[in-house]
Amino acid sequence: MNKESKIKEIWTAYLDKSFSITVPLAAILLAFLVSGIIMLIWGANPLEAYEALFAGAFGSPNAFATTLERTTPLIFTGLAVTLGYRCGFFNVGAEGQLYMGAIAAIWVGIMLPNLTGWILIPLAALASAFMGVLWISIPAFLKAKRGINEVLTTLLMNYIAIQYFEWEIRVDHFKEGVLDYYGNVPEWGFLNYFIGLKDPTQPYPKTPLLTDNTFMPSLKRLMELPFVENLFGNMVWYQEFVKVPAIGRMTLTPVLGLITAGLLFFLLFRTVTGYKARAVGINPAAAKFMGINVPNTLLTTALISGALGGLAGGMEVLGTQHRVIPNFLVSAGFDGIPVALIGGLHPFGALLSAVFFGALRAGSNRMQVVTTIPVAVVYIIQALAILFAIAGTTIDFQAILKKNRLKRAAAKKAALEAAHAGEGEASRV
Amino acid sequence: MFEGFSSIILNIDFYAAIVRMSTPLLLGAIGSLMAERAGIVTFSMESMMLMGTVGGIIGSGLMNNAWAGVGLAIIFGVLIGLIYGIWAVSIGSHQIVTSVGLNLGSLGITSILYALTFMKGGEVVEEIIKVPTLPITKIPLLGDIPFIGPVFFNHYPLVYVGYLLVPMVWYILYKTTWGLKVRAVGEHPHAADTVGISVIKVRYQTLILSGAFSGLAGAFLSICMLGSFQENMTAGRGFIAYTAIVFGKWQPIGVALGTLLFGAADALQLRIQAMNENIPYQFLIMLPYVVTMIALISVVGRASWPAASGLPFKREEG
Repeated sequence: MNKESKIKEIWTAYLDKSFSITVPLAAILLAFLVSGIIMLIWGANPLEAYEALFAGAFGSPNAFATTLERTTPLIFTGLAVTLGYRCGFFNVGAEGQLYMGAIAAIWVGIMLPNLTGWILIPLAALASAFMGVLWISIPAFLKAKRGINEVLTTLLMNYIAIQYFEWEIRVDHFKEGVLDYYGNVPEWGFLNYFIGLKDPTQPYPKTPLLTDNTFMPSLKRLMELPFVENLFGNMVWYQEFVKVPAIGRMTLTPVLGLITAGLLFFLLFRTVTGYKARAVGINPAAAKFMGINVPNTLLTTALISGALGGLAGGMEVLGTQHRVIPNFLVSAGFDGIPVALIGGLHPFGALLSAVFFGALRAGSNRMQVVTTIPVAVVYIIQALAILFAIAGTTIDFQAILKKNRLKRAAAKKAALEAAHAGEGEASRV
Repeated sequence: MFEGFSSIILNIDFYAAIVRMSTPLLLGAIGSLMAERAGIVTFSMESMMLMGTVGGIIGSGLMNNAWAGVGLAIIFGVLIGLIYGIWAVSIGSHQIVTSVGLNLGSLGITSILYALTFMKGGEVVEEIIKVPTLPITKIPLLGDIPFIGPVFFNHYPLVYVGYLLVPMVWYILYKTTWGLKVRAVGEHPHAADTVGISVIKVRYQTLILSGAFSGLAGAFLSICMLGSFQENMTAGRGFIAYTAIVFGKWQPIGVALGTLLFGAADALQLRIQAMNENIPYQFLIMLPYVVTMIALISVVGRASWPAASGLPFKREEG
C-alpha cells in the first residue's frame, strides 16, 4: 500500500459510509466548552456571551437574515472543498476562486445592464462559475497531469487572485460623459472599457452599485408577486409577515446553496462520476487498477470544485452586496476548509456546518457589544472545533472500544476460569 | 524602464535587501528542515511564524526590550510546534489538514493576543503600536570589506543567526548521531523503531526546533523589519518557505538557495514599486508568489521527498 493512500484510508474510513453527526457535534461542543473556560479565565461570563451570540444569530428576523447572508458563501466554498477532497484534491484555493467569481459577476452586471433579470442573473452566475474554473484549471492540470501537489499551487493562486482583484477594482470603468471624483474628464483607455471596474466618481476603490435587475429575488419580492398576494392577501399572518423589513434581505441564494448541496450529494453518491471520484479519493492506485482514468477524474472533479468556489463570489455579489470593495468577504474562501472538515466532508454536513459558522459570524458582533469579548473569539472557537474534529475523525474510537471490550471479556473469562478452578478444587476436597 | 532596472541591479542596497528579505524564509525553512527530514510536513510554518510575529511584538512591547520579544516569539512558536505535534505525531491525523486548521486558528488568535495586550481601559487601541526593534549590528572587521561588508555583514542580528543555521543544520543532519536518527525516522520509521530509536520522541524534538526557528522568523518580520504588527503580516511567507524546502530538495544548501531566490523576487518587487509608477503595484506584490509557483512547477519530478513524509507512525501491535 503506498503512503498517500494509507493516510487517506485512515482519514476517509468512516466518511465513506454516510454522514455521521456525532464527531462534528462533539467537536463543536468541546470547542464551546474550552472557549468558555478561556473566557472564565479572562473574567467574562461565557453563558452570557453564548446567549448574546445566539441572540445575535437567531434572535430576530434581522439577525436571522444576517446569519443567512453570512452562511451562503460558506455553503458554496464548503461544498467546493468537500467535493475536491472527496476526490483527493485538497482545494485550498476557494478564496481566490471566490474573488475571481465576484469580479466576473460584477463585470457581467456592469457590461449588460439592460438585460432582463431572468437572463442576466443566470448569466452572471455562470460567468462567476467559469472564472472559478479558470482559476483552478492551472493547479488542476498540474495535479492531474504532472502530479504536482495541489495544496501549494491552489494556495499561491489565492494571493495572485487577491492582488489581481485589488488592481481591477482600482482601474476606472468607462462611463459615457462622466467626470471623475476631482471634476476632470478622465482619459479613457482600453483597460477602462473592458477590464476596469472602479466607479470613477468615487475616490475609493469601489465598484459601481449594480442595477437592480441583477439582484437575486428576495422573499419580499416573492410575497409581493400578484398571484401570491391574491392567494394569501387577506390572511393575518401574511399582512404581518410582509411588514417585516428583514424579508427584503432574505434572498434566493441560500436556497440555491441548498439545491447545490442536494445536487452534489446526487453527483457524489448516485452517479458513476461520483463513484469514480470517491474511488480515486480513497486509493488512486486501486482506482487505476479498477480501470478508472485517474487524471481525468481528478481534473473533472477539481474543475467542478473551482466552479463552486467561483459561484460563492458570484452569489455574494448577486444576492447580498451588489458591489465589491477590498476585503468585501473576509476569508470566506479559507473558511470553506473548516466548514467542509467539520461537515464530515459530506454535502449535507457542509450545509449544517456552514450555518454554524455563519451564525458564529453573525452573532459575534452582538457578543462583543454585550460582553466586550472581542469578535475574534469566534476564530478560537472555530480553530478548536476544527482541531477537535480532525482528532475525532482520526482516532478510531470503535477500535479503542473494541479493544476495551476484548480486554474486559478477557478479564471476565480469566475471572470465570479462576472461579471454575476454585470450584474444581473445592469439589475435589 | 531598462535604465531603471539596471539602476536597481547596480545598487548595493538591493543585494542587502535580498539578504534581508530572504532571512525570515531562511530561518523558517532551515529550522523546519529537520522536522521535514523526520517525516513531518511542516505546512504549519505559517502559523508558527504568525505566532512569532505577535510574540515578538508583545514581548518587546511589554518588557520594552526587543530581545524579550525574540524570546517570547520562540516560546509561541514552540507552543504551536507542540500542539502540531500532539495532532500530527501522537494522534496521527492528516498533517496538511491539521496545518490548515492551525493556520486559520492562529490568524484569529494573533489578532486577539495583540488586541488584548495593547488594550487601553477596555478599548482596543486604534493606532499602530510601535515597539523597540533590534538594532542593526555591523560585524566589526567583515563589515568593512567593500561590497561584501554592506551586503552581508551590516544587518539585524537575526540575519547572522540565519547564516550560522545553514552549516549547523547541515552538520547536525549528516555528521551527528541525532541527525542520523532524524533521517532514519523520516525514511523508514519502522526500521528506526526496530533498532530502538523512539520515532515519536525524535519527531517531537524536530518539531520543537521547527517551532523555535519559525517563531524567530516571525519575530524578524515584526521586531526587526517593521516594529509593529499587522493582521496576517506573514502573508503566506510560511508557505513560500515550505516551497523553498521542496525546491531545495530537502538539502540545507539547496533550501538556502531557494530562500534566496524568493527573497530576491521580494526585494525586486519592492524596488520596482518604489521606482516605477507605471506598473500597478498589485502585479509587483504578485511577483514572489508567481516566482514560487514557477519554481514549484519546474522543480517537481526531480524532488525527492523523505519516504515517510506525512505518514503518521503507528507501531504495529502483534
